[in-house]
Amino acid sequence: MFPMNAKRRELKAREAILRGVYENNLRIIGKPAEESRTKLPLPLKKMLLFFSVGLLTILGQGSNLNLPMFPERQMSASLITQERKLVPDETRINPSDYKELLGSYSMPLRRMFGLGVKTIMLDAGHGGEDPGTIGKMGTKEKDITLDIAKRLKERLKKYGDFNIIMTREDDVTLPLNKRVELARASKADLFISIHLNYLPSKPINIIETYYFGPSSDAKTLQLAEKENAGSKYGLSEFKELIEKMGETLKLQESKELAASIQKKLFTNSRKKNGNIYNFGIKRAPFVVLLGVDVPAVLAEVSCLSNKQEELELNTESHRENLARYLEAGLLDYLNKGDANYEAKRNTE
Amino acid sequence: MKQKETQSEGDILFVGIDLGTSRSSISTSNGARQWLQSYVGWPKDFISLQVVGKPVLFGSEALKHRLSLDLCRPLEHGVIKEGLEKNEEAVKEIIKYLIELAKPAPGQKIYAVVGVPADTLKVNKLAIRRAVSGFADSLMVVSEPFAVAYGLNLLNNSLVIDIGAGTTDLCIMHGAIPSEEDQRTITNAGDYIDEQLYSYLTEKYPNSKFNKNMVRQFKEKYSFVRELAEDIKVEIPVDGKPVMHDIKNEIKRACESILPALVETTAEMIARFDPEFQVKIKNNIVLAGGGSLIRGLREYLQEALKEYGQCTVTCVEDPLFAGSNGALKLAQDMPAKYWEPLK
Repeated sequence: MFPMNAKRRELKAREAILRGVYENNLRIIGKPAEESRTKLPLPLKKMLLFFSVGLLTILGQGSNLNLPMFPERQMSASLITQERKLVPDETRINPSDYKELLGSYSMPLRRMFGLGVKTIMLDAGHGGEDPGTIGKMGTKEKDITLDIAKRLKERLKKYGDFNIIMTREDDVTLPLNKRVELARASKADLFISIHLNYLPSKPINIIETYYFGPSSDAKTLQLAEKENAGSKYGLSEFKELIEKMGETLKLQESKELAASIQKKLFTNSRKKNGNIYNFGIKRAPFVVLLGVDVPAVLAEVSCLSNKQEELELNTESHRENLARYLEAGLLDYLNKGDANYEAKRNTE
Repeated sequence: MKQKETQSEGDILFVGIDLGTSRSSISTSNGARQWLQSYVGWPKDFISLQVVGKPVLFGSEALKHRLSLDLCRPLEHGVIKEGLEKNEEAVKEIIKYLIELAKPAPGQKIYAVVGVPADTLKVNKLAIRRAVSGFADSLMVVSEPFAVAYGLNLLNNSLVIDIGAGTTDLCIMHGAIPSEEDQRTITNAGDYIDEQLYSYLTEKYPNSKFNKNMVRQFKEKYSFVRELAEDIKVEIPVDGKPVMHDIKNEIKRACESILPALVETTAEMIARFDPEFQVKIKNNIVLAGGGSLIRGLREYLQEALKEYGQCTVTCVEDPLFAGSNGALKLAQDMPAKYWEPLK
């Protein structure tokens, strides 16, 4: 009887494997796996339950979020009103403590002191055990961000005068504090973190870019909480970092960089896809931005929750385009204040 | 069984394709086995079109005429080339050409399973599906080491190490479709050896002229790790005159450059499993891909893993076709109802 059993077991394994291949491929083309829904109702139900509980928890946390260290203002604008506004939300957040700092410089620090940007650190969001957000067809944020970062690196390498470093070149788990350490250790002059957005309830596509700063936007805080998870920083260290922050000029520079990147990302993406929204540059307490001593931004270059966008992200040309827009934004920042460049820019 | 009979009537041609960075191969249910180097070249201009006499060239022929062609190696790891539509176009051309080589009967439906390097699969699933769908009636895409494992019937408690050109893919099979944790990719593989060898040789023989293509040929002919009794000497021109060069040490160093990461990752992957299964997996390690042809590699790995306990490493018999044969087997075993929705 024994060999019979072994044979049956093998047949069963084979069946499971074949069905797995089939279901994976169904997901690639965006069709739901009907087969499994009828055949495996219980695990699926369990998963759904798990997800909805998870979602509720996240939402609940978001609305109750009250980080004492940030000057909190009740966020009243909902996602819908943001859509209508379609303007950078600079006007909405206006904490006085940084205002002076922000207004006091009209040109990038780099140019003011005649310093060159040599080392640029590119940070592909998530990785390894942390997939980031996952699209309906199974596309993982970590894979897309890594691919875009690699493309951006190749593009920037062509100029020859930047030293481009990546926080990760492979699909490896890398906690945020390690990324920060890397940026410090490699003496990076600029830090760009690439991420994808996920809006579970809205079938829209948005682009937004963050730089570090206190935020009063509940959605932003919620996002920050998500991106900060796994940072391995203690609260006291975090506070210390924030205090240090106030003294640096990084904020001003980061904002400039964020504005340049956001502008190029959005205006270019808009040309291809009219159905895309500009959520502007925002301040957010992302650990990865805070810990780095140099200008740092976090760009949410696309939206994985949007089905059409997920399809697009799976094409090489779209990822290359996103890298190109980031490159354009970066160069825009680096060339600001340069007389020749400004003249050209104004005539455009 | 009934299904099988209706399928084998000849109205459907089952096709297994291994879309590799360096070489691509096809195995079909009509017995065809073909391969080519994954190069696609288009004539640069009108004159080069006159010279080569074809609108598109493949494999070694494309390499031979590379000076008059826009040459593309579409799945090359991490390299971004000018014109991306071209990459997708190149994949299309390769698939089209491979299927033509298999000579399907007129009117025959083509059901294809395509194996691609695990890393490529992650972000290019859709692009690959799109590239292939024009030439197949129904289609599934799978990761390369998985196709190899399936083809060798290593469904349970085994580890497949597929050393390709762009990447080395490791995949543990345990009776189910491998999840992400069961698969790992190392970016040190054949191309990396080429790069190392190239830099070692330039360093040692600064006055000798050679190119990447020659270096790859040296590797494919002489690769080895550990010890080798014979000498390795090749002819390389110096100031136009052919001169013999001793490249044995450089070959060894270059080939061994991929070993540390390989051993480390292998040990790591095995260690993740229940001790009881670890033993089974360790006795079922299979080397596949072009890298499995490196002499001494099997022994080296077996030796290096010894400190983790007894283990057995074998090499696939036919690395060139192991992937496409596995993909073909998948295609043939796949129940008809699964093919339907993927048209």
